[in-house]
Amino acid sequence: MSENVLEVKDLKVEFDTYGGVVQAVRGVHFQVQKGKTLAIVGESGCGKSVSIQSILGLIPTPPGRITSGSAKLNGQELMGLPLKELNKVRGNNVGVIFQDPMSSLNPTMTIGEQISETLRYHKDVSRKEGRRRAIELLGKVQISEAASRVDSYPFQFSGGMRQRVMIAMALACEPELLIADEPTTALDVTIQSQILNLLKDLQNQSHMALILITHDLGVVARMADTVSVMYAGQVVEHGTVDDIFYRSTHPYTSGLRAALPTRERNRQKLIPIDGAPPDLFSPPKGCGYFARCPSAMNICENRNPPEFVNSTSHYGRCWLAQKNSMTPMPTEGVL
Amino acid sequence: MIKYILQRLFSGLVTVFFVATFTFFAMHAVPGDPLMRGKAVSPEVRANLEALYGLDKPIAVQYGKFLLNMVKGDFGISFTQQNRSVNDIIRDSFPISATLGLLAIIFAAVGGVTWGAIAAINRNRLSDRVIMFAVILLVSVPTFVFGAMGQLAVSELNQKFGIDFLPIAGWGTLSHMLLPALVLGLGTMAFLARLMRSSMLEVVTQDYIRTAKAKGLPTLRIFVRHQLRNAILPVITFLGPSIAAITTGGFVAEVIFAIPGLGRYFVQAVQQLDYTVIMGLTVFLRSVSCFYGYSCRYSLRFY
Repeated sequence: MSENVLEVKDLKVEFDTYGGVVQAVRGVHFQVQKGKTLAIVGESGCGKSVSIQSILGLIPTPPGRITSGSAKLNGQELMGLPLKELNKVRGNNVGVIFQDPMSSLNPTMTIGEQISETLRYHKDVSRKEGRRRAIELLGKVQISEAASRVDSYPFQFSGGMRQRVMIAMALACEPELLIADEPTTALDVTIQSQILNLLKDLQNQSHMALILITHDLGVVARMADTVSVMYAGQVVEHGTVDDIFYRSTHPYTSGLRAALPTRERNRQKLIPIDGAPPDLFSPPKGCGYFARCPSAMNICENRNPPEFVNSTSHYGRCWLAQKNSMTPMPTEGVL
Repeated sequence: MIKYILQRLFSGLVTVFFVATFTFFAMHAVPGDPLMRGKAVSPEVRANLEALYGLDKPIAVQYGKFLLNMVKGDFGISFTQQNRSVNDIIRDSFPISATLGLLAIIFAAVGGVTWGAIAAINRNRLSDRVIMFAVILLVSVPTFVFGAMGQLAVSELNQKFGIDFLPIAGWGTLSHMLLPALVLGLGTMAFLARLMRSSMLEVVTQDYIRTAKAKGLPTLRIFVRHQLRNAILPVITFLGPSIAAITTGGFVAEVIFAIPGLGRYFVQAVQQLDYTVIMGLTVFLRSVSCFYGYSCRYSLRFY
């Protein structure tokens, strides 16, 4: 699997808080290939953003702490890299787009300056050249009249435009990997769609790998090649889009889909997942989903299931996915 | 832009007008008048003097006359200082007060920003605690204490080494200005340091700092361009009023260091109920502080 742009293994992240130690990420692994899109889905607080940010050293330490794990970008280990080396990777090999474009841009710097400063530090271009490239990039993310907008400040831009600026900034150095941390959550639906199209187009042009963090399964179906479903700090199921949507083996994934409106279920009530995620101060001994799972068994309470491989591309952390498991998957009311 | 400036100018004029009016009537509400100080005078002389200064007229007429003259830029002649007009006093003394104040504010701003930033970077470490302790001390201890202590320290030094490092009082050369400016600026410096520290700590948690980190910028660049630049904004906003306060309010320092600034005249005038001087200086100082405040806010637009 040498084509893996990013390969993360056994990542564990903890946070010290007044209430104790929160085990936010508990042994996560995933990888993404060149030109492909990996979607990481899961509800708030399941560790999606933390896993990604910890790879680039973007979580505040303290209180955060990476207790184990490896993250290889094109074979180069990122964990434990000194800041100076890490800075050569950030923004250069890996671009990041954050969730809230309203607060992610510096209010006292012009758009152009913010885009070109990335170029100036990584590609050693002159101020003038940086400005020219910034205009070019703004055009690329479809901001009209880029040449006159380049000297605007963020407050003069709308939310969608700012997210385009963020994308332009992340793409400035033509990274091999783009991480989009809920890029459309703060935007309205039409703009959402435009931004996703833009990301897809840009990916097709440059063959970069894309990691898309989201909790919107619609976005996943549209954008992703592979999907990791996260729950309570672990990847509970991983597979191709088809694996996840049609051959899901984990009750949590099924539960997420049941909570989604479809054309057939248009007038019916959606089926929510009852309860709340477990307390990660003291994670449960068994499966994290046990308390909410409709098909929970005795074994689930005390033993956390390992990853059961279904096919080369598909695995799930559920006792039901074990090869000779007696109980069939519950399917009623799901599809 | 011109409209903005005109609006500010107008609101400044309104402010000054109200300050003048309030001071005028408050001053006249104080028992006595300027002629009661000094030697007792016979009723005839008194009547003549009152007629000369217009004090025999009803207070409304006096007020109207004062406003009219103020608009013309004439604040009248001092009651207590022979033949000196208020305009003369301002012309002679204000440059001195302004120089002292400017020096003090430069010292306060540079010191405040630096100490505040250092404290914020070392948050909760020893250096932060020490700086914050010093800040509380400097904010709470009044100027005259530091003035006296500064003089004592300098005179000890001068004696010990037999050279004059700094003069202890008086006015004239730059070396005369250093100690009073330092003393005058200390309180403001401490306040600005506290403001800067909290502002820095707030900026650090902002999303755009994370963005800057994700772009792989060097730590120094993030600190200067993204953090400091945003954190200093509240300090600049506060700088306007404090420039005004320091350039116009250095009375105590001026008295301690025997500096012939405006402050001394002001205090004297209040003690002797020197109507014209009180009114003139009040209106003048308030205009100056309005000007500083507005121009500082205006200059933020170009930041």
